Amino acid sequence: MGERVIKAGMLRAGVVYLALIGIAWCALFPILWALSGSLKKENEVGVPTLLPAHPQWSNYREVFALMPFWRMFFNTVVYAGCVTAGQVFFCSLAGYAFARLPFRGRETLFVLYLGTLMVPLTVTVIPQFILMRLVGWTDTPWAMIVPGLFGTAFGTYLMRQFFRTLPAELEEAAILDGCSPWQVYWRILLPHIRPAIMVLAVLTWVNVWNDFLWPLVMIEHKSIATLTLGLVWLQGEYVARWPVLMAASMLILVPLVIIYAVAQRSFVRGIAMSGFGG
Amino acid sequence: MTGQSDIAVPRRRGSMGRRLGAGYLFVAPNLAAVAVFMLFPLGFSLYMSFQKWDLFTPPEFVGLQNFRTLFTADPLFLIALRNTVVFTVGTVAPTVLISLVVAGVLNRQVKGIGIFRTIVFLPLAVSAVVMAVVWQFVFNTDNGLLNIMLGWVGIGPIPWLIEPHWAMFSLCVVSVWKSVPFATVVLLAAMQGIPGELYEAARIDGAGEVRRFFSITVPLLRGALMFVVVISIINAFQAFDLVYVLTGGNGGPETATYVLGIMLFQNAFGFLQFGYASALAWLMFAILLTLTAVQLLLARRSRLED
Repeated sequence: MGERVIKAGMLRAGVVYLALIGIAWCALFPILWALSGSLKKENEVGVPTLLPAHPQWSNYREVFALMPFWRMFFNTVVYAGCVTAGQVFFCSLAGYAFARLPFRGRETLFVLYLGTLMVPLTVTVIPQFILMRLVGWTDTPWAMIVPGLFGTAFGTYLMRQFFRTLPAELEEAAILDGCSPWQVYWRILLPHIRPAIMVLAVLTWVNVWNDFLWPLVMIEHKSIATLTLGLVWLQGEYVARWPVLMAASMLILVPLVIIYAVAQRSFVRGIAMSGFGG
Repeated sequence: MTGQSDIAVPRRRGSMGRRLGAGYLFVAPNLAAVAVFMLFPLGFSLYMSFQKWDLFTPPEFVGLQNFRTLFTADPLFLIALRNTVVFTVGTVAPTVLISLVVAGVLNRQVKGIGIFRTIVFLPLAVSAVVMAVVWQFVFNTDNGLLNIMLGWVGIGPIPWLIEPHWAMFSLCVVSVWKSVPFATVVLLAAMQGIPGELYEAARIDGAGEVRRFFSITVPLLRGALMFVVVISIINAFQAFDLVYVLTGGNGGPETATYVLGIMLFQNAFGFLQFGYASALAWLMFAILLTLTAVQLLLARRSRLED
């Protein structure tokens, strides 16, 4: 009888692994196929092999020749870096205030602030474009950095949630010692919310890296363009030159896959919370 | 700030006052940014929706003309609305069903499950633009992977992105592929919150695996499911990046993938009809708010009925 139970258990585990492999394959095959395509000759992209016999690394070299890849890479890193730093700083500061500092109208203000999450990008993109035009920031890096710099409702919400989990004794002792609110925030509490900082930083970085509509509306010059914009321009210019297009796609993907591999836990945690704001 | 000049007040009130002022100071940058980049644009957009404006000549007040044109004079609006509804349903329904199953499988405590979760969640980090380019390659009629594989079982090449009725289907496939990981993350998190004793009790009562899934897991996930549905609808309804790159900025072939997001972009930044596009944006906003409110009401009612 015991043997039969074990056999049934093994059968069930087999079914589970089969399902898991199927699901993983569905998630992965477009990326693998693209990776394989990026190493093929133009006339062999239709050959259904994942490993081309003679990998054409020259496709990658061609990407660098056809588009100012490293310039765009640098731009994207600068935009993502600035916005991420700003987000982490201002969201944690406001999150701390909303969680811990008493001031009149705090809860009302927080709920109203959170309410702005309901406003979709669809409604704000046109007036934001006109605003940028008004201050003369269209087609400048400022347009890519400043709007995202001073925090978002979601980031503040996320930080507030983490600050609320810290024990009150932590700051009470510091206040009795005469620490100012800034010192309490900067020296005492901030080191304790490193996980939250990681979550927000990864999420912001990925969002800026992948952003498309805003750069599309804002930027015309290659010298300040982002990678997503560069890829779409490349695709428009070299229609159906699959190996080169796939090589460019992989080059944009690799930095993100590395970040994902390193910070997967923080990223997925952030995604689970971010659904809250759409 | 207030307590510091008052000598009679003990030292702690002083620090209290400092904390009070600091509160406002610390939230000020965020609130200022929201006022400048969100509230002002929101109001300005509403103002624009009653104007005719190309940015180069002064705006001209036209009352409800823009809205009237949308409903009565612009056949493209109805096409875009219909396409958007088809796209939203074609994305959200499969996404919810698939992610429910995927989350159920990923919830199994088997060896190596972490690796599988990592792989399945990977598309979360991939930009819609890169994915659209990659899927174009997969959908390519002559030498795309899908047609190669279909050729093995004797099905002729399908013009995935070229034939109008196939184009919308292909768009939904990519959209589902892109949205399933998010829905799975949320549902999996909710599943992990279900106490194991419930399953234990059901097992003792003789309920099979499938039965347990449908009579314990699914009902307890209702909140998370509702949440996933609302967010997915909001996202699909405003789809832009994916459509723009996969089938082009005109919503082709013909008008097969001409969704509201594309219409908005085209009218604003292509035709420079900023008033008209703003009217469209506010209409989309109104539809989304209504949908969300209805869903929340339905959710509350079904909770009360229990």
